[in-house]
Amino acid sequence: MQPFLSLDRVSKDFAGLQALKEVSFELERGGIYGLIGPNGAGKTTLLGIIAGSLEPTSGAVIFEGRNLVGAKSFAAVRAGVIRTHQVPKPFRALSVLENVEVGVRFGRRGRSAGDGQDAAEILDWVGIAHLAHTPSAILSVGDQKRLELARALGARPILLLCDEICSGLSEAETACILNLLRKIEKSGTTILYVEHNLRAIMSVSHHVIVMNYGQKLAEGSPQMVQNDPAVIEAYIGGRASTDGRQPRSGFVAES
Amino acid sequence: MEQKAPSGMRRVRNRGVLGFALLLAILVVLPLFGLSPNAVRLLFVTFVWVTVSIAWNILGGFGGQVSFGFAVFYGLGAYAAALAVNRGLPTIVALLLSAGVAVLASLLIGLPTFRLRGPYFAIATIGVSESVRVLMTNVSMTGGASGYRILETGPFRQLDHFYISLALAVVALAASVEVRRSRFGLALIAIREDEDAASDLGVNPFRTKLLAHALAAALTGAAGGVYAQYAAFIHPQGVFAFSIGVAILLMPIIGGVGTIWGPVVGGVVYGLIHDELVASFPQLHLLIYGSLLILIVLFEPAGLYGLLDRWFRALAGARRIRAAVP
Repeated sequence: MQPFLSLDRVSKDFAGLQALKEVSFELERGGIYGLIGPNGAGKTTLLGIIAGSLEPTSGAVIFEGRNLVGAKSFAAVRAGVIRTHQVPKPFRALSVLENVEVGVRFGRRGRSAGDGQDAAEILDWVGIAHLAHTPSAILSVGDQKRLELARALGARPILLLCDEICSGLSEAETACILNLLRKIEKSGTTILYVEHNLRAIMSVSHHVIVMNYGQKLAEGSPQMVQNDPAVIEAYIGGRASTDGRQPRSGFVAES
Repeated sequence: MEQKAPSGMRRVRNRGVLGFALLLAILVVLPLFGLSPNAVRLLFVTFVWVTVSIAWNILGGFGGQVSFGFAVFYGLGAYAAALAVNRGLPTIVALLLSAGVAVLASLLIGLPTFRLRGPYFAIATIGVSESVRVLMTNVSMTGGASGYRILETGPFRQLDHFYISLALAVVALAASVEVRRSRFGLALIAIREDEDAASDLGVNPFRTKLLAHALAAALTGAAGGVYAQYAAFIHPQGVFAFSIGVAILLMPIIGGVGTIWGPVVGGVVYGLIHDELVASFPQLHLLIYGSLLILIVLFEPAGLYGLLDRWFRALAGARRIRAAVP
């Protein structure tokens, strides 16, 4: 059986800077996958490549048997791969409802679990129904993040790519969004969740992929990954004990 | 977008439709009451500018793609109509040809230039526009720089031209309203606000921009055709002039870019005062437009229409308050 999503030796050069070096992994359908790594590890670049926002220098991205490399992001959307942005990008001249309407009217055609929903229902689901007619330009950061999620859901994702959807949010807001992700996953959408906030990602993911310097460092269950010496070294600094510096607080607590 | 409007909004919209029908009726019967030929000419020119202003706004206002190159469509439309009329084709066929030639040009221009974004696209349209002007001054079939004349076969009937230009302006307005409430219009606005985000939700930006460009070009080309048949003489320095391209962009911005009525207001203002300004201040009229543009961009980005809208709201608000106080 072919995997749901498979990355085969994906590399990306930015004018001489190698952001990704032969990254390969596979996802099965269902579940919340975590993608973690220190700043500059190449997480967002990888997400952009899967979503069609960026083209890899080499390698293949196979989604449900289809190579997505070379497909523009709107084509990836039609295949069912939809992303959110770390820095929310609302259509500022449009109301919150109209923003979601863009996803609903241009997203993937056809039905799957959790859809058949119209824009208003999605807003209700995400918890910003009361803001439907508010101009999206005046939303708070938390609500902008929810709108990002609502818009992406409107486009009926099979694979939802979330880029640091909790960054800049309070603990309560983060908990809220994480619950939302669990709800989305239960309705049948697979999620690949890029996050800097380790505590957040460890609590929702069933499988974590760790990246460092553009390469895949490790992958496995959250417990496995947390105890992997290579991962600890990447996050805390390998020679912390030998050169006398104090390691930063336990990396799971870092957020 | 089809949305159930609350009853208050529906009332306002009905009133708007009623007001528009009334205005249209007045414009239709106005020339029958002994309007001077000069006044009819002024209205004719105004309708042509309103059409072009609305057309530019579809791409530039809704879609956010600032083009300085609309003189290309206006000029090609004018030449296409002139050539067609001189071959004995009826007016309506001539205008369809004008629109068709302009659409073709819009695709040829759009295919390479829509790969550019923002200011780069705007600059590219300047280059294209100037190249076409230079090219047309060297095409011998249309008389090159010395221009091209329509040979009149029948008597000149000014009112025919008047009604054709009015009809075209109404078509343009209807197209603009339809675009604004359609799925296509939603895509255009999304692209204007954030092209990458729009693409990430399934909008094909390239195709959407190309379509908007073609629609705007069709209307602009037809307007050029209407003008050429009235003027009966056209030349590249006139219809392809860079200043025409700038004027076409100036009107909707002065009127209120990205709205339905802003470009109409801009076109009316420009149409009615342009001749007068050129006659009174032959050296200064561009300076006046320039200053107006700066003032509007700085103080009223929603344009004259935004200004009027605010005044009316303030007025209505004051009246409501007065009515509420016994």
